[in-house]
Amino acid sequence: MKTVHTDALIIGGGIAGLRTAIGIKRAGHDVIILSLVPPKRSHSAAAQGGMQASLGNSAKGQGDNEDIHFADTIRGSDWGADQQVARMFVDTAPKAVRELAAWGVPWNRVRKGDNKSIINGQEVVISERDEAHGLITARNFGGTQKWRTCYVADGTGHSMLYTMSNKAIAEKIPVHERMEAIALIHDGQRCYGAVVRSLVDGSLTAYIAKATCIATGGYGRLFRATTNAVINTGIGAAIALETGVAQLGNMEAIQFHPTGIIPAGILVTEGCRGDGGLLLDKDLHRFMPDYEPEKKELASRDVVSRHMEAHIAKGKGVQSRFGEHLWLDIRQLGAHHINTRLREIKEICQYFMGIDPVTDLIPVRPVQHYSMGGVRTDHRGESPTLKALFSAGEAACWDMHGFNRLGGNSVAETAVAGMIVGEFMAEFLSDDASHIGVSTALVRSFMEREQEKLDQLANSSGTENPFQLMKAMQECMTKNVGIFRNEERLKIAVAELLELSERAKNIRVYSGTAGANPELVAAYRVQKMLKLSLCAAYGALQREESRGAHYREDFPLRNDRDWLCRTLASWESDEQNLPTLRYEKLDVRRMEMPPGWRGYGSKERIDHPDTEARQLQVDSAAKQQTDRYQLQQSLMPFKHMLPEKLRGRNERLDEPLANTDKAGTASGRLNNRSHKEAL
Amino acid sequence: MNTIAAKNLHSLRTLTFNIFRYDPKRPEVKPRMDSYQLEEADAMTLFIALNELRETQDPTLQFDFVCRAGICGSSGMLINGVPKLACRVLTKDLPATISLAPLPGFELIGDLSVNTGKWMRGMSERLETWIHTSEQEPDFHKIEQPMEPELSEKLYELERCVECGVCFSACGTAQMRPNFAGAVGLNQMARFQLDPRDERTDADFYEVIGDENGVFGCMTLLGCDDLCPKELPLAQQIAYMRRKMAKTRKGLF
Amino acid sequence: MIIGTVDLGRPTRLSAWMDIVQGVTGLFLVVFMWAHMFLVSSILLGKDAMYFVTRLFEGELFFGRAFPQLVSMLAFFILTVLFVHAFLALRRFPTSANQYRSLHRLIQGLKHKDTTLWYAQVLTGFILFFLASVHLYQLISHPGDIGPYATSDRIYSERMWPLYLIMLFVVELHAGAGIYRLVMKWGIFLDSNPKTMRTRLRKIKWLITVFFIVLGLLTLGAYMKIGHAHQDAVSQRYHPAIEQSL
Repeated sequence: MKTVHTDALIIGGGIAGLRTAIGIKRAGHDVIILSLVPPKRSHSAAAQGGMQASLGNSAKGQGDNEDIHFADTIRGSDWGADQQVARMFVDTAPKAVRELAAWGVPWNRVRKGDNKSIINGQEVVISERDEAHGLITARNFGGTQKWRTCYVADGTGHSMLYTMSNKAIAEKIPVHERMEAIALIHDGQRCYGAVVRSLVDGSLTAYIAKATCIATGGYGRLFRATTNAVINTGIGAAIALETGVAQLGNMEAIQFHPTGIIPAGILVTEGCRGDGGLLLDKDLHRFMPDYEPEKKELASRDVVSRHMEAHIAKGKGVQSRFGEHLWLDIRQLGAHHINTRLREIKEICQYFMGIDPVTDLIPVRPVQHYSMGGVRTDHRGESPTLKALFSAGEAACWDMHGFNRLGGNSVAETAVAGMIVGEFMAEFLSDDASHIGVSTALVRSFMEREQEKLDQLANSSGTENPFQLMKAMQECMTKNVGIFRNEERLKIAVAELLELSERAKNIRVYSGTAGANPELVAAYRVQKMLKLSLCAAYGALQREESRGAHYREDFPLRNDRDWLCRTLASWESDEQNLPTLRYEKLDVRRMEMPPGWRGYGSKERIDHPDTEARQLQVDSAAKQQTDRYQLQQSLMPFKHMLPEKLRGRNERLDEPLANTDKAGTASGRLNNRSHKEAL
Repeated sequence: MNTIAAKNLHSLRTLTFNIFRYDPKRPEVKPRMDSYQLEEADAMTLFIALNELRETQDPTLQFDFVCRAGICGSSGMLINGVPKLACRVLTKDLPATISLAPLPGFELIGDLSVNTGKWMRGMSERLETWIHTSEQEPDFHKIEQPMEPELSEKLYELERCVECGVCFSACGTAQMRPNFAGAVGLNQMARFQLDPRDERTDADFYEVIGDENGVFGCMTLLGCDDLCPKELPLAQQIAYMRRKMAKTRKGLF
Repeated sequence: MIIGTVDLGRPTRLSAWMDIVQGVTGLFLVVFMWAHMFLVSSILLGKDAMYFVTRLFEGELFFGRAFPQLVSMLAFFILTVLFVHAFLALRRFPTSANQYRSLHRLIQGLKHKDTTLWYAQVLTGFILFFLASVHLYQLISHPGDIGPYATSDRIYSERMWPLYLIMLFVVELHAGAGIYRLVMKWGIFLDSNPKTMRTRLRKIKWLITVFFIVLGLLTLGAYMKIGHAHQDAVSQRYHPAIEQSL
């Protein structure tokens, strides 16, 4: 039995996993990262548009702060988010951007004086302050009141991932590449690491760790039409589910991005619309203002995607041999802007469609994009039900996104959650209670069980082909668990998925178990992915309301009275064919921001009985208290929940830090060094 | 205005794929070229074609794709002898017979899959491709250090590299000298040399690229510059580092 | 530098020097060769012109009489530079069967112009090393045998023309490719638009190569013609029109 021992095991080498590992390593613990692919190839690289953080440097971001970012995030989530976690997030986001700036991310910067920009289809001149010159700038994104999305052209995720990965290399953090965790080792109380399969030679290794973190990203590949990479299979979430102890949160909360290109489904960044791009129909009519007079193209993604699909259903879609679509028009941004700040988009258009967005329209249609759901964790990133199992980033349901994530908040979450969860994991490891005395018998039983499962796939008498099952599952999910959901389709989905799960028991892998074996990989993955699909479809069927990205045609209203809660899915036994669903209530009485209208989308809803009373409390507190920090503190304290070194206030041009404001951090100053002579 | 035609304008062909097959873990089976036939589909990329081959004809076929959008750099391979990112090559732009082989210069994992990750990590460790500062922790509560907007754009221009390995496979020098840092490494050195946040001096950079495995090994064959999928100005950056390194004052031995 | 477990030693200034010297010697040889082409092509302007050029290089203008040894010395110097250049260029040659095989596979598969051109440069360089050495040795040992008739006779009657014909093509290809590569190597003239500039540079390179080959062929033709006419009086030297009229 091959075993590897380490203090912390991080499953996933994207930004979240890397940042978590860096925090742990810096605290003096050993850490190993497992990654399906070389870490720089992680899907974090595909985050194009940017990362939200309320720096307030640029003119259009002036006056921005954590409060506004918080409000946008909660509205975006359709009040499904954990408000304390969202607070922790918005408070740490500026720190994450600045840390990355110091580590090397070439954030685009403010240029003083007059700058041309496109807003609402009109060219405008934005005048930037002299004192902001050279500070990190921001672009507009959907569902935000301020221009808050910090960016590096349209390769933000790429730059962040490279910087983070390079930092991890500098910290000498080992990354075991092409390794896939296929089961968590646990005793029903506590997690002890994972059984890991090599994607190069097929061998199994037991990684025994005091703490394990799942940072494997989303589960977009449950769908046929998705912007996600082929590695976004959700296996991290699935192995947590298969413990029978850990729970998955809000698996039905799945985001569809308005602008995937036809037919490949590759993402075109929201930055296109943020920078002034418009959506047009077959008559070249700009239709979004008809539906959303205020936010227009820049309402939140769930809202824009729904309007697009509804508009197509009205017969306004453009016919093509790849099905119907709409147009994204960024021509008015001009060649210079597109060639410098939207280069990846230009390349994608060129290579996959043979068009030039400087002169041509881009054919787009909403496609699956983001998984709000994932491994349910507390604010520290640890599973409330399985000790020593942590999760961070898209893989987690830390729950700052609720039922719809704002553009620019995902790549921000990866870095922020990495900082926070990394600290908490380090803290956990520093505690003597983290020591483990795991029995080799337990480890061996898990190893043998997994090996048996693999052997079973190869020696089965069945006839099912894993690739075909995968395709059928993806087709079923895209068709029935998409943007518009209803009881009928969701029932069909659950029934089909159940049937596919049955068939998946009869998979036969003809190429044996040795070696890399892509067929075997597809076989064990599809079995796990079907469980996740069932969690999503069954969860969606049960949730009889519309909230954020979860839209039920038969229950079109948000129902805070009955459904202001988080779905928790667990899978206790191999015998059961559906997940056990439980619901975790969100307490309106403790919300800093009681449920209300989002500022876009439907104004009708069924209110929670506590909402009115809480709103009155909040309003009266706002009248009494003028200091925004103290007001916030009085409504919903959260600073104590952050790791100590992340509790300080964020400095802004308009909010200079008095020395006394800075809560106990022992960080050094960035040196004020002049540019090198080379420049 | 552009429109997508209601019907495909290209006639769809039967494609013949000749694919390099070898599993280094089974050295008793000699390397060979396997031939497959596939009906071409509309808007078919090599990503789609190879997956279809694997799913319908040969489940043992090994290759690497991740983002399938030309962003992550996983799918470098020799397509009719030329290294490219396979995910964004449309079959309609290729002849009916397509030969596929793994990127040369990297450890072969099997068939079309090569271990670029291991090589790139080694390069990163050797050249230390990260910002070197004497400060341990930045104070992230404070407003960040300003940077000229033009400089940040210039840095990103060089940072667009996706470490796909195409430049290395297109490089005659690299084919002869496996320890050569390659355009990928030299370009990254230029990126950090240009970055005022990195406190390394030219003499420090000379320590890692001032020899035949570094910038003075480059013979300016320019395969890197012509084949870089991200169209990075590699020749110019290598030249820049060469000039910088040539000017560096350092003892003769 | 450590690669794997092998310490390759720290980079020294020597690597930089070798690269610089290779470039400088190459540049010098190209400039010299082009100047030399213009000088020998003076025959196209007439025998007197070429005679004048010869005398100039033998120092007659400065010393009042010809010193063919000056030619010897110059040729020896050029030969030395050539040796240094060739020695440094040797670093770049494939030196093992493995390297040779990888390189060939690359060139055949890639069909990349500048890589193929480089290989042509290696081959022409190799050939040139021998041809130029022969040519230069001949000048070192017989420095006086330069002149409208002497040269023509050497080319025609002494059957040196095949050598010069081959050398013309080889040297122009090598020099053109070399100077282009040198410019690219050090990134001169690339400005803010390196891709466009490079295409332009490559065009200029070919124009120069073709120009010198044409010039060379005309020149060689002129010497052949004179040599043919003069084949019966091989040892006879040329006397310029001015002397003849005296």
